[in-house]
Amino acid sequence: MTMEQDTLLGLLSATAAGDKQAFANLYKQTSGQLFAVSLKMLGRRELAEEALQEAYVKIWHNATEYQHGKGLVLTWMISIVRYRALDMLRYHKVRKEDQFEDGQEAMFEDPMSGEGADEGPDITKTKLDNCMGELEPQQKQAIHLAYYNGLTHHEVVGHLDLPLGTVKSWIRRGLQQLQRCLAL
Amino acid sequence: MNYRDPEIRDALAAEYVLGTLRGQARRRFQTLMMQIPSLRESTWLWEQHLHGMNERLTPVEPDQAVWQHISQRLGFTVANADIDTRVATDIADVQTSAPSTSPQSNVVSLSSFKTRLWQGAASFATAAALILAVVLVKQQSIDLPVAQQMAVVQGAESQALWLIEVTERSIEVRSTSNFTPLANKDYELWMIAKGVENPISLGLLPKSGQLSLPKNSQFDEVDIVALAVSLEPLNGSPNGLPTEVLYTAELAIL
Repeated sequence: MTMEQDTLLGLLSATAAGDKQAFANLYKQTSGQLFAVSLKMLGRRELAEEALQEAYVKIWHNATEYQHGKGLVLTWMISIVRYRALDMLRYHKVRKEDQFEDGQEAMFEDPMSGEGADEGPDITKTKLDNCMGELEPQQKQAIHLAYYNGLTHHEVVGHLDLPLGTVKSWIRRGLQQLQRCLAL
Repeated sequence: MNYRDPEIRDALAAEYVLGTLRGQARRRFQTLMMQIPSLRESTWLWEQHLHGMNERLTPVEPDQAVWQHISQRLGFTVANADIDTRVATDIADVQTSAPSTSPQSNVVSLSSFKTRLWQGAASFATAAALILAVVLVKQQSIDLPVAQQMAVVQGAESQALWLIEVTERSIEVRSTSNFTPLANKDYELWMIAKGVENPISLGLLPKSGQLSLPKNSQFDEVDIVALAVSLEPLNGSPNGLPTEVLYTAELAIL
């Protein structure tokens, strides 16, 4: 993790100084991860690629604004692509609702449910995993749906078939519990 | 709501990062983040908490075209200093050679530059159609000075960003609604002339609406290969050379 952070930090500082080759390298090392994030949220490849493209343009322009307080370089970059994807979800709201009607549930699969190929037996559990594991299953599911798929409270309601108030308070309390656990 | 209350602050920041804070609430939060440092810090902390969830996602390789679009958008494929000679030689090249795809790492290679020009040539048809449309409209308004030359500056997705008409005395520029300017930047127009070492500034482009730029005295004397638009600090290039070339456009004689 620190090795990755050191490498990416080196590339990002060079990018901030206008080094195009370093930026190309940064793209090469991180685009797969960032694309997975935007694809998960937007569901459609062309939209996900648009979000990715705009995120990297922003990363190039804002490279000087990264600072340690914002977390790891990859965290900072993931934030940028996520916020861009969230903006796009607003504009492409229709698509999301269409998919609900079509019952395309595949995109809502839970990457931490343990059935997918994402979780190998060799992956050591992080603190976040442990803390997420302490949540009620439905609380965890609501948070996952919102986070990975960019669903609104209303959309989570549609997916879990529970009253809006319940979903809202589950998410809120889930996050509070998560914060207490992570702070320990 | 008291945003300085740690509990409220944390709850809002968490939902902002999670993505459930939407619409007006989200925009209001973004504004508040600019004003309240503790809110910003709380947000960064939540980004660190939650973005670890992405480690569970298997990386997916995006299409190669994404990188090409990024480097085009950022103007990497056009070098600033020797832009004139490259444009001159490569425009000739590109008419005979097939488009080449550049490897990801080869950011400023000549081949990717050619790809860009090729794509430019491909989208020229769109530009030509737009020019025709504008010319047809123009013919109905006799009072205005007659445009002699014209160019359409297009963005990465071939969307028209500025319409440029050159009349006998001035350069008339209109920005289109496709164009979203950066508030802290200006956009400068340049001409790239054959045999002239550096691009020559024609002035700052309007960020919205219409603007009449004085016609540079050299404009009719040189052989213009292309126009270029660069991204500059406010008030234009600090050193008389383009800082970051964003787009190039061909000038068509009417």
